Amino acid sequence: MSIINISSDVYEEGRKIAQKTAEAMGYAYVGREILRGVAEKYHLSETKLVDAIDKAAPTLRMSLKLRKQLMAYIQEAVLGEMLKDNIVCQGLAAHLYVLGVSHVLKVRILIDPEERARNYAQTHNMSVKKAEKLLAREKKLRQQWSFSEFRFDETDPSKYDLMVSLSQIDPDEAVRIITETVCSRKFQPMNYSEKCLKDLELAARVRVLLMDKYPSSRVQANGGNLIIETLGLTREKRKREAAIKELAENIPGVNYVEVHFIHDFFRQAAESFR
Amino acid sequence: MKVKSSPKNETVSGMEVSVRPNPVEIEEKARRALMARHRFSLKLQISLGFFLVFLLAVGIAAVMVHSMYQVEHKLEFLEIINDYVIEIQQARRFEKNYFLYGTNLDDALDNVYQARDIIERNPDELKQILGKDNHRMVVSNIADYQRLLEQLEDAERRQENILEHRRTREKIEKELREKGHQMVSLSQGLMNRLRVSVSETLLRSRMIHIYFLALLLIMVVFNAYILVSRILRSINRFTKYAQRIASGDFTPIMPRRRFRDEFTDLALAINKMIQELEQREEGLIQLHKVRAVGTLTAGIAHELNNPLNNIMLSAHMMLEDYNQMADDDKKDILNDIVSETNRSRNIISNLLDFARQSSSQVEPLNLASLIRDTIKLSANQIKLAGIRVEFQAADNLPQIHGDVQQLRQVFLNLIFNAIDASKKGDKIQVFVIPADEPDYVAVKVVDFGTGIPEHILNSIFDPFFTTKGKGKGTGLGLSVSQGIITKHGGRIKVSSRDGEGSTFTVTLPVTTIPADLKSM
Amino acid sequence: MTDQLEVLLLDDEPIVGKRLKPALAKIGCNVEVFENPRAALDRISEKEFDIVVTDIRMDEIDGIQVLEHVTQKSPRTKVIMITGYAMMSLAREAMGKGAFDFIAKPFQPDDLRKVIASAAKALGSSIDFTAAGIDNA
Repeated sequence: MSIINISSDVYEEGRKIAQKTAEAMGYAYVGREILRGVAEKYHLSETKLVDAIDKAAPTLRMSLKLRKQLMAYIQEAVLGEMLKDNIVCQGLAAHLYVLGVSHVLKVRILIDPEERARNYAQTHNMSVKKAEKLLAREKKLRQQWSFSEFRFDETDPSKYDLMVSLSQIDPDEAVRIITETVCSRKFQPMNYSEKCLKDLELAARVRVLLMDKYPSSRVQANGGNLIIETLGLTREKRKREAAIKELAENIPGVNYVEVHFIHDFFRQAAESFR
Repeated sequence: MKVKSSPKNETVSGMEVSVRPNPVEIEEKARRALMARHRFSLKLQISLGFFLVFLLAVGIAAVMVHSMYQVEHKLEFLEIINDYVIEIQQARRFEKNYFLYGTNLDDALDNVYQARDIIERNPDELKQILGKDNHRMVVSNIADYQRLLEQLEDAERRQENILEHRRTREKIEKELREKGHQMVSLSQGLMNRLRVSVSETLLRSRMIHIYFLALLLIMVVFNAYILVSRILRSINRFTKYAQRIASGDFTPIMPRRRFRDEFTDLALAINKMIQELEQREEGLIQLHKVRAVGTLTAGIAHELNNPLNNIMLSAHMMLEDYNQMADDDKKDILNDIVSETNRSRNIISNLLDFARQSSSQVEPLNLASLIRDTIKLSANQIKLAGIRVEFQAADNLPQIHGDVQQLRQVFLNLIFNAIDASKKGDKIQVFVIPADEPDYVAVKVVDFGTGIPEHILNSIFDPFFTTKGKGKGTGLGLSVSQGIITKHGGRIKVSSRDGEGSTFTVTLPVTTIPADLKSM
Repeated sequence: MTDQLEVLLLDDEPIVGKRLKPALAKIGCNVEVFENPRAALDRISEKEFDIVVTDIRMDEIDGIQVLEHVTQKSPRTKVIMITGYAMMSLAREAMGKGAFDFIAKPFQPDDLRKVIASAAKALGSSIDFTAAGIDNA
């Protein structure tokens, strides 16, 4: 009765561990396979969705805005899966947006950077030094992006419950450690953590709905109550508030909507302490 | 341009309120005062000094050339006189030979002609050097001598009888010897005098060289001294300014001398910098306040959940049982809801008060009640951390002047720090007492927590210095606090023992003049 | 309502007890309400409850201490934590120390009822929601 979220610098390594863990626990494995459904639902290409998760920096093909939109679709799908409970989630960047839910065990699989550079150099046919430089740059760009988008530094160990270094611990051993850890009562779902997860899922659904028209909106849910922050000009205020309220109130699970115009001084300050 | 005197504070029956002057205005005022003086630039002083030294050097060169010319001139005449003396000595030798061995007088006469020629060739200069009398004597001597020689030769040529010839010869011989001797001794005397004069001239020119060099040295040293002392004094002054600014005193630099120069430009630049620093510090204070509000909000958000829960439960139960409920029960529930709503409002009103962005105002205030309010404001953090706060204030403390918002921010920060340093169950003591020095009030915040290790005690007031984890502290709290307290004319000190706790002491002046105006 | 659930409710907010006591009575709970944690601990020492509902943030003794006391005293008792200071770390601490569930304030009476129902299920008894006249079981 838990959720295990596995993230890693190298997708393939994370995937191996996640699948083995799912097998060992008898949980469902939720990986990039769910992106097909998302792609079909929103008429997108699957590779673009993968790029939105993987790529370090905005590319010519993908602006920051588009990436934000794609991430919103992915979030909606992933959080929907998570509500089902008993899953191992991997490769969907869930460590960036599933925060503060006590029954989600956050695992980071560490790959020795030198080994990674060697492998990268081999597969991409380049010198190890060049690969090292390339990967370091990519890491930095990714850090910048995740921080600007999610206020989250994914290399910060304090953001995870468990870090497993594959250069020191065999995959089977890693799976054993993960399964043992997740069995602790600490990672069992409870009223509060389920509520937190439901809130995140509802917020994600609302965000997707607002994405087209009001991409700058920020959504917070609290037990069916929505607080939506949106940036805009004062003259639009009344119209915008009404439009957002109408959109959001029709979403199942929503019973109250509050729209905050411009930026909220208090919450900004409070959020800086999360 | 005249410098405006610092603005007088309007006093209305003991209740003064003054809005802090804008840093831009203060800077502008200082700029005008600085520029109102006459310019005497360092460049000008350096140019002037070097020009004077150069003039002196030119003078020295001129005098040296002149004295050299003089020496040369004299040496030339010494040579002329020497030639002349040689000629006449030669003449006398021939004359002697004539008398002793009867040789002819032609050679002697030749020499005499040569000597006369030398004398007559440079009459003016000779006159000048020998003096008129001497010259005349020399000329007449040689003329007489020549005349006598010619007479002698005449007599020789005429071939008179021996007797008469001898007589004439003896007569002339005697006169000739006399004249010759006179002539030689005179000219030798002259030569000696000339030699003395030459060596005197040489000596004089040597002394002139020495004196002028000494003068030059003095000039150069003096010039360097006034230049260096001017620069050094200014540099020292600016070092003091820098220290002052570093300690958080953002009073602009005001004129200290009667003239302005390159250092004035520097002062202007520094004033500009101070102004920007001050504005930036205002920003920092604001930013820090946002963080403080964040901490408070986190605590208050939790605290609010209790009355909200009470309202929620009450309302839900009333909804559920509305039909079966007696009117009294309904009233009871509604009363609960009203009182819990009030409780919620009270919880946030303090925070709102603190968070409200108001222009900074300096006003008289009671420090003890300010601290009491601040403790109340942080009550949730104190409760969350499981800490007791003991508060004591001395009676009849005089009022101080200050900016309530900013001072509250300082004390809030000190209390937060004390909470962070304490363990659950610890206590924090806060005292408001008269300070050790007269006319100051002290606030002591004492914790019995971890204490501050000695090696970082000196850096805790540095901006961005923090011992808290990433994302927990900005490292601005104490630095901003120090800035605020310095602005109020006070000081903030810390004493700490590792493992036994720390004491932060803030002293603020008891004054009827707002700190801002004092610093003008 | 043959076998009533024995419930101890501890919260230093008087209104919580006042409102929840009748709410829980409806689903067949015999509720004893305490505002003072020390008195509650004494009572727990005396009597074995089926369920203990406790606030966490209280003066003197906090809910975690109550939880430890209960698990040590009577392991079968289910402890439900309610708190206004809900945070992930606190929730995990409580769960790790053996709490049955963890509810964040503000909550609705039904939230607690549901949790109590599942606690009753875990204890082997059942709660009849429809009997209490509550629509969403």
